[in-house]
Amino acid sequence: MESASPFASGPPRQRPSMVPNPTGVVQTPLVGRSMAPSSSVPLTSPFGSALPGFSRPAATPFASRPPPPGAIPQGPIAGNGPRIPGFTAPRTLPPPSVQPAPPSAASSSIRQPTPYASATQDSGLQSYPGSPPSGASVATLPMPFVGPPASQQFGRPPTSQPLFSGPPRSQPPFAGAQYLQRPMAGSTNSQLPLAGLPTSQSPFLGPPTSQPPFTGPPTSQPPRPNTPQPPFAGLPTAQQFGGPSTQTLTGPPISQFVGPPTSQPYAGRSSSPSQMATPSSQPFSMPPTVGTSFGSPVWPSQPGQMVPSLPGNVQAPPRMFGMPPGMPGQPIPPVLPAMGHSALAGPQVSTQSKIDPNQIPRPLPNSSITIFETRQGNQANVPPSATSIFVVKDNGNCSPRLMRCTLNQIPCTGDLLSTSSMPFALMVQPLALPHPSDDPIPVVDFGESGPVRCSRCKSYINAFMRFIDHGRTFVCNLCGFTNETPRDYLCNLGPDGRRRDADERLELCKGTVEFVATREYMVRDPMPAVFFFLIDVSLNAIQTGATAAACSAISQSLADLPDGPRTMVGIATFDCSIHFYNLRRASQQPLMLIVPDIHDVYTPLHTDVVVPLTECRQSVEQLLESIPSLFENNKVSDSAFGAAIKAGFLALKPTGGKLLVFQSVLPSVGIGSLSSREAEGRTNVSAGDKEAHKLLQPADKTLKTMAIEFAEYQVCVDIFITAQTFVDIASISVVPGTTGGQVYYYYPFSALSDPGKLYNDLRWNLSRPQGFEAVMRVRCSQGLQVQEYAGSFCKRIPTDIDLPAIDCEKTIMVTFKHDDKFQENSECAFQCALLYTTVYGERRIRVINLSLPCTSMLTNLFRTADLDTQFACILKQAASSIPMNSLSQVREQITNLCINILHAYRKFCATVSSSGQLILPEALKLLPLYTLALVKSIGLRNDGRFDDRSYWASHVMSLSISLAVPLVYPRMISIHDLTAKENDGSLSSSNIPLSSEHINDDGIYLLENGEDCLIYVGNMVNPDTLQKLFGVTSVDGLPTQLVLQQFDNDFSEKLSVVMNEIRQQRCSYLRLRLCKKGDPSGMHFMSYMVEDKTAGGLSYVEFLVHVHRQIQTKMA
Amino acid sequence: MSEFVDLETQDGVRMTWNTFPGTKQEALSCVIPVAAMYTPLKPIPDTPVLPYSPLRCRICRSILNPFSVVDYVAKIWVCPFCFQRNHFPQHYMSISEENLPAELFPQYTTIEYASSPDTGPKMPSVFLFVVDTCLIEEEIMFLKSALSQAIELLPENSLVGLITFGTYVQVHELGFGHMPKSYVFKGSKEITKEQLLEQMCFFAGRPRPNVGVIAGPRDGLSPESIARFLLPASECEFVLNSVLEELPRDPWPVPADQRASRCTSTALSIAASLLGLCVPGSGARIMAFVGGPSTQGSGSIVSKNLSEPIRSHKDLDKGAAALYNKAVKFYEALSKQLVHQGHVLDLFACALDQVGVAELKVVVERTGGIVVLAESFGHSVFKDSLRRIFQSTDYDLGLAFNGVFEVNCSKDVKVQGIIGPCASLEKKGPLCAETVVGQGNTTAWKMCGLDKKTSLCLIFEIARKDGPESISQHTSNQFYFQFLTYYQHSDGQMRLRVTTLSRRWVTGSADVQDLLAGFDQEAAAAVMARLVSLKMEIEVFNNSPDETAYYRMILNRENVANAVVMIQPSLISYSFHSSPEPVLLDVTAIAADRILLLDSYFSVVVFHGASIAQWRNSGYQNQPEHETFAYLLKAPREEADAIMKERFPVPRLVVCDQHGSQARFLLVKLNPSVTYNSNNPPPPGGDILFTDDVSLEVFLDHLQRLAVQ
Repeated sequence: MESASPFASGPPRQRPSMVPNPTGVVQTPLVGRSMAPSSSVPLTSPFGSALPGFSRPAATPFASRPPPPGAIPQGPIAGNGPRIPGFTAPRTLPPPSVQPAPPSAASSSIRQPTPYASATQDSGLQSYPGSPPSGASVATLPMPFVGPPASQQFGRPPTSQPLFSGPPRSQPPFAGAQYLQRPMAGSTNSQLPLAGLPTSQSPFLGPPTSQPPFTGPPTSQPPRPNTPQPPFAGLPTAQQFGGPSTQTLTGPPISQFVGPPTSQPYAGRSSSPSQMATPSSQPFSMPPTVGTSFGSPVWPSQPGQMVPSLPGNVQAPPRMFGMPPGMPGQPIPPVLPAMGHSALAGPQVSTQSKIDPNQIPRPLPNSSITIFETRQGNQANVPPSATSIFVVKDNGNCSPRLMRCTLNQIPCTGDLLSTSSMPFALMVQPLALPHPSDDPIPVVDFGESGPVRCSRCKSYINAFMRFIDHGRTFVCNLCGFTNETPRDYLCNLGPDGRRRDADERLELCKGTVEFVATREYMVRDPMPAVFFFLIDVSLNAIQTGATAAACSAISQSLADLPDGPRTMVGIATFDCSIHFYNLRRASQQPLMLIVPDIHDVYTPLHTDVVVPLTECRQSVEQLLESIPSLFENNKVSDSAFGAAIKAGFLALKPTGGKLLVFQSVLPSVGIGSLSSREAEGRTNVSAGDKEAHKLLQPADKTLKTMAIEFAEYQVCVDIFITAQTFVDIASISVVPGTTGGQVYYYYPFSALSDPGKLYNDLRWNLSRPQGFEAVMRVRCSQGLQVQEYAGSFCKRIPTDIDLPAIDCEKTIMVTFKHDDKFQENSECAFQCALLYTTVYGERRIRVINLSLPCTSMLTNLFRTADLDTQFACILKQAASSIPMNSLSQVREQITNLCINILHAYRKFCATVSSSGQLILPEALKLLPLYTLALVKSIGLRNDGRFDDRSYWASHVMSLSISLAVPLVYPRMISIHDLTAKENDGSLSSSNIPLSSEHINDDGIYLLENGEDCLIYVGNMVNPDTLQKLFGVTSVDGLPTQLVLQQFDNDFSEKLSVVMNEIRQQRCSYLRLRLCKKGDPSGMHFMSYMVEDKTAGGLSYVEFLVHVHRQIQTKMA
Repeated sequence: MSEFVDLETQDGVRMTWNTFPGTKQEALSCVIPVAAMYTPLKPIPDTPVLPYSPLRCRICRSILNPFSVVDYVAKIWVCPFCFQRNHFPQHYMSISEENLPAELFPQYTTIEYASSPDTGPKMPSVFLFVVDTCLIEEEIMFLKSALSQAIELLPENSLVGLITFGTYVQVHELGFGHMPKSYVFKGSKEITKEQLLEQMCFFAGRPRPNVGVIAGPRDGLSPESIARFLLPASECEFVLNSVLEELPRDPWPVPADQRASRCTSTALSIAASLLGLCVPGSGARIMAFVGGPSTQGSGSIVSKNLSEPIRSHKDLDKGAAALYNKAVKFYEALSKQLVHQGHVLDLFACALDQVGVAELKVVVERTGGIVVLAESFGHSVFKDSLRRIFQSTDYDLGLAFNGVFEVNCSKDVKVQGIIGPCASLEKKGPLCAETVVGQGNTTAWKMCGLDKKTSLCLIFEIARKDGPESISQHTSNQFYFQFLTYYQHSDGQMRLRVTTLSRRWVTGSADVQDLLAGFDQEAAAAVMARLVSLKMEIEVFNNSPDETAYYRMILNRENVANAVVMIQPSLISYSFHSSPEPVLLDVTAIAADRILLLDSYFSVVVFHGASIAQWRNSGYQNQPEHETFAYLLKAPREEADAIMKERFPVPRLVVCDQHGSQARFLLVKLNPSVTYNSNNPPPPGGDILFTDDVSLEVFLDHLQRLAVQ
């Protein structure tokens, strides 16, 4: 790490200083929650890195400040700069200035207000955001992790430390510190404005101590204002400072934690107002600016249900984000009762007991909007957290929504990468929904000649291709080949060496462009949008109401299909045979054609099974209306699912298209029939545990073989499972998983509460931005090679993946390995090319470019590590390994990965720290928490149903980063006090840690993970509240199947607003479930309290202790 | 001759020899075999239908008949076949010479027994239409209109089902009220009855019996599940009509160089299995309407490629028809299945091309089905024939189902077999001769379908060895036959018709005259025709295999009179000079002032001489003074109508004039005694034939020479 020139030097030493405390045993780390900024906690190196952070401009968008001059890379200037040179080196991030303002106030509440003062001095830190400014904080704690040093941005800070050390006063212990820092920063820059920001900081409290240090390091903010900060925050700073921290550790430390800090975090940053202005919610709202036309999903409500009217929402959003009402000051609840004091007890010395669980790192919500410039000063900016809200200005690198890397600096060598233990992968979400204010993706038409490409590696022209020789040739940034510039693409170079037309030619200045594909890119005319619905009408489906729900959902969704004569639909039903319908007949009455041979399937008609929607809409609607009654007396309980999808495929074979299957029972007959092996597995106890994971593997290869054929003919299968029993999702999910589709799972299906979600899921499935018959390839600079693609697709040749359909939510993970070294100052480029057909039949090539700097310093890797992306990567790897390995192995692998990463950091980047401290890199300070949550997630729990686990695994494989985190670490908010909150119900303001200690009997809590939404009702809830929200007066009167209704009162309306906000944010209607204390449903709810100690798992504090011990063992 | 006709009128039987040669040796030297042409359901006026069960001999199971010797005192009857003495049961106790049961009346040698309500329920007859859709639009229209007419005429209580086919086979579920619904099967794939049971959801929601044959309501199928596909005509008429009305052509595209993809055999197999599942053992007919060659499935007769011609006799002869044997094998299996189930296949083949009648022959013939071959579904031969099947008039076909035919005869007469529309039930017994002809080696035959005219040709063998002593053993020279026909009458009742005959033996040269007197020349011609066509399956010229098969199937089911017409058409002359008179089937019969009426069975030709035609064209028949001419013109037409009314399949009527193009239908049947190169000129107003064929005279000369040598 040290090597990292910039920062390196300084820091290391400093750390040592920090260390001091170590002895102190305790240690608590700095954890605070918020230290936002810099990741680098630990020692030296970290800091080093941290500082640099400043430089990255990106961060704050608006920035009020000017950033950056310093911003620029080396520029040690760090904005704040003044201080320590060391710090200066701001790399990238100039703190934007967004500055969150320093909520000083808040801070005050916390302990150390003072800091500000100091802050000022430090000034450097603009980032308020990162409250955690100076990395210093950190380490303090003894074992526990210390905080995350604010490494990243600050990076360099170390240097500063020295300075600090001295100065630092201890004062600032935690929270306060955070604020302080910002302030300081602010001062310098004036950024303070942001005020709201503090939030982030709050997270870690730890920092306080460090504060002093901060001053110096201030810069820490770097992390860019965006939401992310919170994470890093606190700790780091502290450490950096070293000195201070120590103190903390020692005696006082503990108390520090206790501190108030927490609360603030939530407050959320108010962040720059300006942003607010922007539409905010990405997905939904606004009209997509982007060239691509994606509609925003709307969540129509089902009758009787809450009405999340979208439209409204759209507008609403702004508020949400914007509003972070009075955050700053509010200390909110966090303070809490110190909870788990004892928690740590076991392992460590008594001291531990002092750890305040409220101060250990936790994610902080952030509702402010930042503006992210993808590049600045010819250098890539580190993107904001995937879960935060930001607006992208495409300056040459793609929007991080479309593609982002687990590492924002690329290790020069494979050895460096393996030393870090961190995963190296790209998450590509090629059609991701833009924020309404994002730069639109330009469409570029090269006419008949098609887009210019490198003649060797075939990569597409992009902003990083270097034109030389007066523009007559250009050098490919991916393979290095020198190409001749096509005659009609010639242009002189300007004095800066760029083509004179570089700014007019969007492909030469934007990270993402869409080329109009020429005939050369088509093997046939672009396919029409074809949707074929397959509905289960077996006994079970009819009786549970699943058939009726499916028909009604389809019927209502017809309106959302793309307009135009090219949109085709078909309908078939199935039980133990397949029923097609000839929809185009003179008499208007459909003709039912049954294919009874479910071992050798065929389509009964040549035409008229799939018909143009515009012509046959009426008959389609009539048919859908009559299907439930047609089969109302059906006595067939068997399901020929495999044969049915084969038949549907045959109907779609000539064109390709989407096959949407509604399935209710285990496929029991015909091709691809399955057995109820879950039950068999249970009875066969001996095979039970050891082989249990085999039940997560497909039963056989039949469906896989079929799916590959489907993919070949561009047929994508989505399956809506409305089951009451085991349906073997492990086997079934292979089909969507291979064809670019997905599984929707409603278990146990309820005709009362599920049709709403079914309808909304279907509607979003049909109306979300999507493309057909796609092929995708990711290219990278020489020195790297693609190792593997993971996601929902079919791969027939090694280099490309086939996606019969691709939509805005599907994410593909691409892992890389080194096959050569990079030069220290070079950049490594990635280019994802997606050739697809729009729903309107246009053939397009979306080219997404990302160019990142290479580094040979480990510190830099840690400083710029992207936690959310790494975690998504780990999550996907875990999902793909659970069918292959026993659960305990998988859990161990994950835990070890976490330990190894932290160990690498500890060993190489924080060497100075005391071995008694658990030191977390600022950027990855939540890694232990997420790892713990992952180990306890549905997919990895022993007690899970096999279908639930298989569904979880299949769901995860194509899940986007922004949904991956909440899936594992859900968001919980309280509802009973909704009206008391003044923020109009903005949900981001008050996340509650997932610990049962935060659940009160008189409270109502809402927990959502993007998929399910649990509403937990304590047994002492105020009846008036119940009446207002649910229309009942006692807990006992609550229905088990919940359909939220909106009542005419403020409370209920606010809940609606909150629900709608969540739905929009997740692009999911959410499956509502009511949980009552003392009920099995209550237990279910409690199983999401991942920070609790459970029969099979450690509590969060215990886990930290465990991790720390392991690291210590390794160090020894 | 007329005596033979009288005998036929009484019992529906004609025999080649009405007096039997006494020994095996003598029978052999008679050349013409001892044979009987029996029309089991021939309408016999005044035949009583007895509402009780017949009395049977304890030993040989033959039925009490007028030839039984009755001891009125002891209440005992002696079986004429085995001489067993049987006691009358209690309810015959009042029997006396003055009080005879009908079956003992001497004139009731043919009598019927009907099942009483308690012995068996009335079974509805079942009609399953199997309709080709690989047709041009025009043909489909014709077919639809013919079918909808037929549906209107369906007997009230009958059940109906519909299968259509082309590339796929569609079994229509007529009982599904909500919308037209059908099961679609792949045409290229055979499907077993078991699979059908499975795939058509007959056991939906109920456990299926795990043992035994599953077929029909008695074996576990619910009536509701059967009623999905077969239901009373009155209930489904609307649905059926609407399905037919919208019946599209086969929707799958046919490349220009290919034949349509037509899976006739698969459709028939599915139809057979469906009936086998739903109504086994109960009268049912599959009525197949086929408009072209089968090109898919096991019974295909030609590949889809148009460059490959459909097999000819020559190909069959050389073994060059690769698909033929496979198809025949398939249809043999199908015929076994249908016979086992007691169901009939009727074939209506209407196409200019061959459709595979030759391959299908085995099924149609074994099941006693009806076959009609025409050029188009719009042709009157098809339309009128179809109408005749369902029309109830004096001339209706009297369709009966599910028949079993049994023979009983006195010792020393054995049965070699039957040539005709039936299938052996393989019931072996002492009566079976070692030599087998046609369906032999049995004394019982299945006749899944039969009608008033269905005629069987039984070939007998005289088993007696030489020696007068063998005769003397018997008290008389009389011996007996008993023909038992069990069948489901068109009204649904089960009936048994019993015909008991007695003939006598003659032996030795002394009785040659007796023998000769009993020789029935027409019956012999009909029998020999069947025998010869059976033995000479291949040596054929001038026809396609389909036509050959068609003619033979008709020949094999017709009675003696019609068979003779087929062999030698009748020609009747109408003129002013005489009353209508038969004339020689010779070109010399043609005269300008004659009208000739030719009945060649498949066609009826009214041929106007040149002068007659001229007069007619001048309209003389409309002038009162030429009333006789009008009458002359009308007479042959009325005669032709009479012929057509009675005949099935309805023949083609050709009305033509001398020298007209249609006259060929007459000329082709005439003996070419006067040709373009013969010495004798035609009489004035006569005609000559342009042919190199030899005349009858030349042929006979040749024959005589051969016989003498």
